[in-house]
Amino acid sequence: MRKKDEIIEDLKQTVINYDEEGCKKASQEYADAGYPALEGIMDGLAAGMQVVGELYEKNEYFVPEVLMCADALYAGLAILRPLVPKAAGGSKSQVVIGSIQGDVHDIGKNLVKMMFDVAGWEVYDLGRDVPLENFVKEQMRTDSEVVAMSAMMTTTMLGMKKVIKMIKEKNPNVMIMLGGAPVTKDVAKLFGADGYAESAGNAVAEGIKMIARLREYEAAKKAK
Amino acid sequence: MTGYERVMRTFKREPVDTMPFFSGMGMVLLPAIKKLGYKFPEIHADAEKIAKSGVESARMFNLDSVVIPYDMCWESEALGNKVSYYEGSEDILYPTIPHKNWETLDQVNITQEDIETIMTKGRMPLIPKAIKMVKELAPDKALGCWQLGPFTMCGQTIELDKVLKGVFKEKKRIEEILDKFTDMIIEIGKALQAAGADFITLREMGAGADLLSPRTFKEIIQPRMIRIMDAWKSPKVFHLCGATDPIIGMMNECHADALSVDIKNNLLESRKKLGNDVLIFGNYDVFKLPCKAETTVEEAIQGIKTNIDGQVDAVWPGCDLWPDIKEENFRAMEQTCREYGKKPSPALGRI
Repeated sequence: MRKKDEIIEDLKQTVINYDEEGCKKASQEYADAGYPALEGIMDGLAAGMQVVGELYEKNEYFVPEVLMCADALYAGLAILRPLVPKAAGGSKSQVVIGSIQGDVHDIGKNLVKMMFDVAGWEVYDLGRDVPLENFVKEQMRTDSEVVAMSAMMTTTMLGMKKVIKMIKEKNPNVMIMLGGAPVTKDVAKLFGADGYAESAGNAVAEGIKMIARLREYEAAKKAK
Repeated sequence: MTGYERVMRTFKREPVDTMPFFSGMGMVLLPAIKKLGYKFPEIHADAEKIAKSGVESARMFNLDSVVIPYDMCWESEALGNKVSYYEGSEDILYPTIPHKNWETLDQVNITQEDIETIMTKGRMPLIPKAIKMVKELAPDKALGCWQLGPFTMCGQTIELDKVLKGVFKEKKRIEEILDKFTDMIIEIGKALQAAGADFITLREMGAGADLLSPRTFKEIIQPRMIRIMDAWKSPKVFHLCGATDPIIGMMNECHADALSVDIKNNLLESRKKLGNDVLIFGNYDVFKLPCKAETTVEEAIQGIKTNIDGQVDAVWPGCDLWPDIKEENFRAMEQTCREYGKKPSPALGRI
């Protein structure tokens, strides 16, 4: 039986090298060995994706590569996530996510969703082309702490402002994340959002940074 | 000088009286739609409404061009996909294709007959009809039409993530499909030009350097851009969204008469790389300057001065203009363009 660290390194490398089959194999080996699943996810799969985000920022990887890495990560996650004990990865944190009405693109949204999946959050994925009021309704229904919205076109971006206003009026403590090509830092601030990612690849990098922030958030919540 | 003369002289690099203020991308404006008594969802499938809303948008704000049509679903619809017009919505929502019939690259089937008859399918026959109406209604304006590039159009008929991954996983198949779309785009462009379009903008929006690598652009995108541009008559503009700094040189090798870029481009660097003979348009922020509620007229004016100082040859938006503009900002932007743009630009002299 291989050592835990060796398999974790394999998990990481197979994600970086968008080796979906390899990642499945390594994940199964890790699971069969009975090593802690959460550690495999965070130090293997998520750590690999962190490198992918860095490669994207350095213009060594582009969106096709990032998407293939995400496929590899999900292949591993499908095996390891069910093995995480509720108490270990059992965050009760919840996020509502979707692409705004008028926008049928969901690449960036799916990458951010992946980050929440990795972090063990309960994800309510509304899909794409989501009517504005549905974000509000779903947030109220699930009492989710975060609402994440994406728009790939300027023409749909403005709907986000309305959603933020509606949600913040009802619940000012909800964290809002925006993403998509037309969303700049200036726009995110103007709309009253708490975070943003400007492109699909960038969403990975931002998502990884968010995992740390989300964990801090969870720790603070547990401490209350 | 009329808008038509100014634009056509610009493409020929002949001196103009002042900086052109126009676009070759979506440019239908809400004040014009309201004036005509139309609703946004109804202007996409009626030749007369397309023509009149385009002309009125240009007239109200003294734009040098009329641009039609507005949405990106025409070809996808002509290939059998259903369009959502958001008829019940109060918001301004452009038509989309909510569900694409082809789920895998293997399912894509574009025949020679599809290519040859594309102008007869779906709403396509409305475009030449609307072009002829615009030519009658506004002979003093240049008429611009646009076409999506093959990669972006492919993403309108198959899910974009499959297309992007296909670049690596099924490169040969992707190239076969892109070749079919290239043939189709050539046919459509020729039909638009035959109907009376004065210039065409080829918009390969999904191929910027924040999505695809420069190497992929060189291998997959550029050869097809060249094939399209060579098949179309001049004038023709090549537009890319997103990051273009690393590939601006390659964009310039695509045989277009002018290049158009969005807000992410470093204009001064592009000018340095391309020299003063290349027509460069674009880059102004279509949300911040004409639409953002908090942007003052003075800030909008400054935005256009900055754009002109960036050495563009025409004030042209970085993307589709958002219909719900602030009228006072947009009028001030046009006036600033004319006044501040009296001096020659790098590729264009003044009378």
